[in-house]
Amino acid sequence: MTKTEFSDDLLTTAFPGILKNHPICTQSSHFVVPKDLVPAITHYIHTQPSLRGRLTLLWACDYRPVRETYGLYYLFTLERSHHWVVLSTETAGTDRLFPSITPHLHAAQWYEREIRDMFGLIPQGHPDLRRLVRHEHWRKGTHPLRKDFSWDATLGRQQGEHHFRHIEGEGVFEVPVGPIHAGIIESGHFRFSVAGEPIMQLELRHFWKHRGVEKLFEQQLLIEAVPLAERVSGDTTVGHALTYCQAVEALLHLEVPRRAKYLRALFLELERLYNHLGDIGAMCNDTAYALAHAHCGRMKEQIMQLNDRFTGSRFLRGVIQVGGVTRDIENTQLTKIVEELNQIQQDFSEVEAIILGNASLTDRLETTGILNEQTAWDHAVIGIVGRASGMNYDLRRDRPFAAYDELPVNVALYRYGDARARLRVRGDEIHESIRLIREMRDKIPGGPIADQPSSSPNPGDWTLAAVEGWRGEILYMVMAGEDGRIHRCKVRDPSFVNWPAIQWAVLGNIIPDFPLINKSFNLSYAGNDL
Amino acid sequence: MFRIIKKSLKIGVVTGRYQKADRAAVPVPTEAKDKTRPFKRSLAIREVDTGSCNACEMEMNALLNPVYDAERFGIHIAASPRHADALVVTGPVTVNMERALKDVHRQTPDPKIVIALGDCAINCGLFKGSYAVTGPVDRHIPVDVRIAGCPPRPAEILEALSELRGNG
Repeated sequence: MTKTEFSDDLLTTAFPGILKNHPICTQSSHFVVPKDLVPAITHYIHTQPSLRGRLTLLWACDYRPVRETYGLYYLFTLERSHHWVVLSTETAGTDRLFPSITPHLHAAQWYEREIRDMFGLIPQGHPDLRRLVRHEHWRKGTHPLRKDFSWDATLGRQQGEHHFRHIEGEGVFEVPVGPIHAGIIESGHFRFSVAGEPIMQLELRHFWKHRGVEKLFEQQLLIEAVPLAERVSGDTTVGHALTYCQAVEALLHLEVPRRAKYLRALFLELERLYNHLGDIGAMCNDTAYALAHAHCGRMKEQIMQLNDRFTGSRFLRGVIQVGGVTRDIENTQLTKIVEELNQIQQDFSEVEAIILGNASLTDRLETTGILNEQTAWDHAVIGIVGRASGMNYDLRRDRPFAAYDELPVNVALYRYGDARARLRVRGDEIHESIRLIREMRDKIPGGPIADQPSSSPNPGDWTLAAVEGWRGEILYMVMAGEDGRIHRCKVRDPSFVNWPAIQWAVLGNIIPDFPLINKSFNLSYAGNDL
Repeated sequence: MFRIIKKSLKIGVVTGRYQKADRAAVPVPTEAKDKTRPFKRSLAIREVDTGSCNACEMEMNALLNPVYDAERFGIHIAASPRHADALVVTGPVTVNMERALKDVHRQTPDPKIVIALGDCAINCGLFKGSYAVTGPVDRHIPVDVRIAGCPPRPAEILEALSELRGNG
């Protein structure tokens, strides 16, 4: 019996009322379930020891005016087999309630609040129904992702105030930070409750930068929306463009040439490299170790200039297209890239030795901002932050995409979950990325770099795509609409999952350590706010 | 200790190791130059993100790395708008950031200049028309200098800033 059949059988035996549907992609199962059974089934998948499903994505879809229903979809990744289980259910157009799974599955919290804001569906039993994406000055009844809401509508304003959770008592006070804060950083609001120095509570207030990305996708043609995907989060340009393209290619049944797959992996690793180098430097800067910051900033700049030289964009914009890549990197150029990266690796090893050998830096990093394994699991934390807390996930190894089926990845894994572990994960991944690029140079086949789309998808077809970007797993759900347009595109940057976890990592730490903890997570505000 | 010194000696000076930007690409209006005259040769910048994709922020950050080292031209980043001579605004102005932008502009002491950085800040770029975007920066506050690009390269930003202060 294969792993797939095993998990499917477990579910159908435990819940005879559920219906097995066609899988939406490889390594996945899809079940149609009755709405009121959702909490029981999700709880089962999450807690059953042989399944241990991690909530990976939760999204809604407005089917009106074709059908008078909203669809709700729950995606779980099974711990051991990395198999995807999709549960789908529907709620009639007039019935705006759906059962909340947050009370027993913490990771669903923001997803359900987001669905309430964007679709006006109410998660019954959700412990926190404050607004998330819609700030309080948005008029009541504004739900942008409903099909009857115009993408270019002008929003009215109303009076309203966000209610933060308060801790009261002698000597307890609140420190509001943001949305505009010191340094060159994106906009977000943090509300600390402190007694003396240690943080008793941190509450996030994000979505200042909500630009309506998902609604903008719905105005675009499937094959033309890559530039928008590139601008979801600028520092993850390749990650987002690649995930989007993979979803569209699956819908169009497009086979990407092998060479293009290798080049995609190359661009993804280059993106990982410059971001990791920048992050390590920035973490050192937040401990006032300016020397390491300068060295890392210099190396990051070197890679961005390399990107610019070989592709014409420092952020590798415009290199990924539906069907392949737009630019070939010839083998001689690839050798030059490898030579330069070898030199950077040597350079970085020396800087790394200086960083790790510095006692005062270690003192600041160790035991700072600990995110323990249990909290990380409860929040379904992913990516570098997860791997520093013992969450052993890496899509490059678990669900290989692009050329990673031929490029085995050694996954960096630490268990302690403090700022130092997050720095170590990044350091290890820098060495691994350079090793992977060397391997690519040896293995890359010749041939074309792109395939032209010939077919068009059926309206209503949908698929999921996932890529391990430098921050963690990026997910896109793309549903085709009429005339090659997009009916719905759900974008999930890893930041959306990891942001709530930071509220737990800072507890007991002092406010002056917050910038360091925040930097060690380094989450995207743009990718979170959409 | 010796390791650190050895490393610094080995690397040497990296400042200026970048391709210089073409000056014609960044015309800075004369009025803006006149407005910056009181700041002499220094410029304290407060960066405000009103909804960018964060690429513009990364390039602003790059200005401070040893390769561009904008501080050598007297350009530095102020932590508060009250300490700033210039506001650098990135991104289309979102519905949620509109009030914050106006507040920051009000809190920046006169004389001040506003620089719109990147295509989104100038004309909303790909996000034009969205329900969540209220318009480009100059719809809300007066803009003196525009630096186009998606995102503009650090060399281009540096060139515009240098020219603005009449020493480019």
